[in-house]
Amino acid sequence: MSEFKKERIEHYETLLKEIWTASAKYLGMVSVNLLIERVVWEVSLEYKEIELLQYDQNGISCARIAAGLEENPDLPVQDMFKKFITRYVAILAKLLGHERAEEIKNKLKEEVAGVSFSCREE
Amino acid sequence: MPTNLLLNISVKYWQDFQDTLAKVMDANIYIFDINGGSFSQFSLPVELCREVNKGRVLRDEKCISFYKSALGSLEDKDMLTCPYGIKLCAYRLGSYAQKIGFLIVTPTRLITQVGREEENIFVTKAHSIYQTINEVFKAILEKNLLGLRRLELNSIYEISRLMTSIVELDKVLDLIANSLIIIYKADLCFVGLREGDKIRIAQAKGEHSHLLTGTEWPLVQPLIEQVFSKVEPLSLSLEELRTLPGLGGVEVTPGTEIIVYPLWSALGAVGLLGIVAPVSPDDNGSKNLQIYANFAAVALANATFIRRLEREAETDFLTGFFNKRSLRNMLFTELERTMRYGTPLSIIFVDIDYFKAYNDTYGHVAGDVVLQKTAEIIKNSIRSVDIAGRYGGEEFVIILPGTEKEGAAKVAERIRKSIETYPFPYRQVTASLGIALAKNNDSADSLLERADQALYQAKRQGKNRFYLDPS
Repeated sequence: MSEFKKERIEHYETLLKEIWTASAKYLGMVSVNLLIERVVWEVSLEYKEIELLQYDQNGISCARIAAGLEENPDLPVQDMFKKFITRYVAILAKLLGHERAEEIKNKLKEEVAGVSFSCREE
Repeated sequence: MPTNLLLNISVKYWQDFQDTLAKVMDANIYIFDINGGSFSQFSLPVELCREVNKGRVLRDEKCISFYKSALGSLEDKDMLTCPYGIKLCAYRLGSYAQKIGFLIVTPTRLITQVGREEENIFVTKAHSIYQTINEVFKAILEKNLLGLRRLELNSIYEISRLMTSIVELDKVLDLIANSLIIIYKADLCFVGLREGDKIRIAQAKGEHSHLLTGTEWPLVQPLIEQVFSKVEPLSLSLEELRTLPGLGGVEVTPGTEIIVYPLWSALGAVGLLGIVAPVSPDDNGSKNLQIYANFAAVALANATFIRRLEREAETDFLTGFFNKRSLRNMLFTELERTMRYGTPLSIIFVDIDYFKAYNDTYGHVAGDVVLQKTAEIIKNSIRSVDIAGRYGGEEFVIILPGTEKEGAAKVAERIRKSIETYPFPYRQVTASLGIALAKNNDSADSLLERADQALYQAKRQGKNRFYLDPS
């Protein structure tokens, strides 16, 4: 089970890296990191473990979240990342417009098959 | 729970906490959101409730409508009896400023089996539960608020850092708009710059932003007049917002806050900052928004000042034309372009004939009028892509990108004729012009030199004419 979750985390890490690169191109590093900080804060109210997400001007990493699975193997990884991405893309759509956010979303869907997420907040 | 910025909590974790509290206190607990919708579930089964609720989930329509109507009229707290006869204590959670939801506490046994003394004990117990839960919610709110404040401070720090490189005005405007959208989940944010007697929207992000960017609002527009009639921000209704050009068809969800900040600096009004957000900021939030507005005001004031200095540094005060330095810089650029793309480039040197005598005879003021009128004639005789400047004294230079000698000759003749026929004060004024076409190995100096030589030839041949450099 834990191995499966680690794989899921790796999968989401790839997705987050793609999102980070795509949004940094349009928004700049400062705004992107502020956006991540905002969404981390919001999701951490429900899933504290999202605070283990590492990000700076060089990129984004889920290594500490994967390591944290040892302590908390029951962590609902999928739900946590899904909420993170959904909320991230919802704000991104406000910043870039729905059209460009959809472009990014579709590009990500092509590149990272098998991971579902929505552009609208639930 | 209402989905606002400050009260966001995991239902699962909350239910665990609530169930533990219910067991410890031997009472049943249930929480509704501010709209009377269910948030948590009953912590413990109640015999009667178990019957209608199949254990834990509130399902009975009669119960739901009872709670909605009872809680809607609840002041602070009350003792209620549910449709199935269960006595319960109801409390309003949160404060008057920040309403959170409602708490229902019921005994674990049916109220009909409880005596007066036990009822008093239950009420005391319910009050303790209320105090505990209310304190926990307040702590969650405080913690969430701190998170929001940290976000605000981080972005304010970044903006203040960027202020040291104020030449990047676009970056500052971008960051201010982005920050407000990110932190307050604003639906729309716009920054307007004052340009003379109007406000031009220089940056807009969010819903409808594409309608706004570049829009101009006259300062005499009633709403804009109202914004600049005071220092404090102005809260607008949707109807008022729609009176602004570009926002006629805008739609916002009910309860949305629309605030416009006038941006003031020591120099006066420099612009405005507008935010359309789903949540009203509290006192601290308002102060932080004011900080963003202040930063935007300083950024705009500095940028306007720098832009004016830059413009003055490259402009001839008398004629409004480019001065010698900026003209030479532009000639370098145009020559580079000519060399790279192989397109033609001509320049014209213009000199007013007998200008010194005119000046000495009729005075400097009259001489200045001649210079200004000549500049006006030149400006009206060239295309928008052509560049004209005052080279010094009574000399003007015109750069004609993409123009061969023949085309330049036509422009020169047009200018000459217009000057000759213009009714200058006191007497007729004429001008001589020299034309040169850029060659492959030309520098700005060599090209100007050849045009100057051509001008000299025009003077030598009797003035009031143009001469083409033959080389």
